Amino acid sequence: MSHSVDVVKRGGKRPTEAYSRKKLEASVYAACLSVRSLDGHAKQTAAQVADAIEAWMKNKSEITSTDIRRQASKALSKLHPDAAYLYQHHRVIL
Amino acid sequence: MDYPTVFGIIGLAALIHASFQLSVSMVTLLSGHSLGSKARSNHTMALVGAFFAGVVVMTMLSVSFLAYLGEQLFRHGVPQLVWSVVAGLSMGLGVAVWAFYYRRGKSGTSLWLPRTMARFLSERTKATANTAESFSLGIASVLAEGIFIVAPASAAALAMIHLPAPLQLAGMVLYTAIASLGILLVIMLIGSGHKLSHIQRWREENKRFLQFAAGSALLVLGFYVYVNEVVAAAALARGGM
Repeated sequence: MSHSVDVVKRGGKRPTEAYSRKKLEASVYAACLSVRSLDGHAKQTAAQVADAIEAWMKNKSEITSTDIRRQASKALSKLHPDAAYLYQHHRVIL
Repeated sequence: MDYPTVFGIIGLAALIHASFQLSVSMVTLLSGHSLGSKARSNHTMALVGAFFAGVVVMTMLSVSFLAYLGEQLFRHGVPQLVWSVVAGLSMGLGVAVWAFYYRRGKSGTSLWLPRTMARFLSERTKATANTAESFSLGIASVLAEGIFIVAPASAAALAMIHLPAPLQLAGMVLYTAIASLGILLVIMLIGSGHKLSHIQRWREENKRFLQFAAGSALLVLGFYVYVNEVVAAAALARGGM
């Protein structure tokens, strides 16, 4: 990433923080492993999703965590629909 | 009360208990996070097994506590007033299950729980890394749903105290076994390698049916208990039947 992007978390209820590719990859990677993807495949999928997000947020200085989740779900659903389902729904299981 | 009636009430009450979804949601979340954190399959199954043990222990403790309480309070038979209260509670909770067991307008399987409590349980479930914690989460999941479980568990406990002691134990085991069937099934699916997304998708697609079935069964239980233990008993007492 050539420029830093601020991420507004939970509609401003939690402190804003800088975008972290590592964090995004970790969450997508975990979602892939949850549906029993192989480690290499999970890593590759996480990297592809992070690439898609970075392409989307080019020219943006501030985004919300909800935006990231929505865009990541969209990218992930093309690559791994099962993982995308859990990624989208993990907050509405309880 | 004859044995078929007692075991019928225990069976129906346990099926209603089994249809409640908090424990199933928590075990889905627990196994998802365990698999997602690259835990070995054995470790995931140990966590899930400990959770199941917590659910079983708390279910058995709840129903045995209620049965003990009933035995101590109603040594000469359960008063019709108490059966009426249990029937009313069942019917009221049946309507409540229909109305708000799952949150309206939400995707997923969001339950009636206050959001702060749901967030707390969710965070704890995600952070669970050892079996002792997992066991206590299983206990917490039964306690948290106590408001709905109280009606079927009370009906089963009051029916159980009509049995001789060895059969009371059998009744308790039967109730616990049936009430834990749903979660056991999910654990078996996870253990046999089924994808969590498929399990969760099935739960989401069928949540309205499960809600309708649980609410209706509570109404049926309440109605049956009222007719069998209050109306019929009153009619018998007057020599009308």
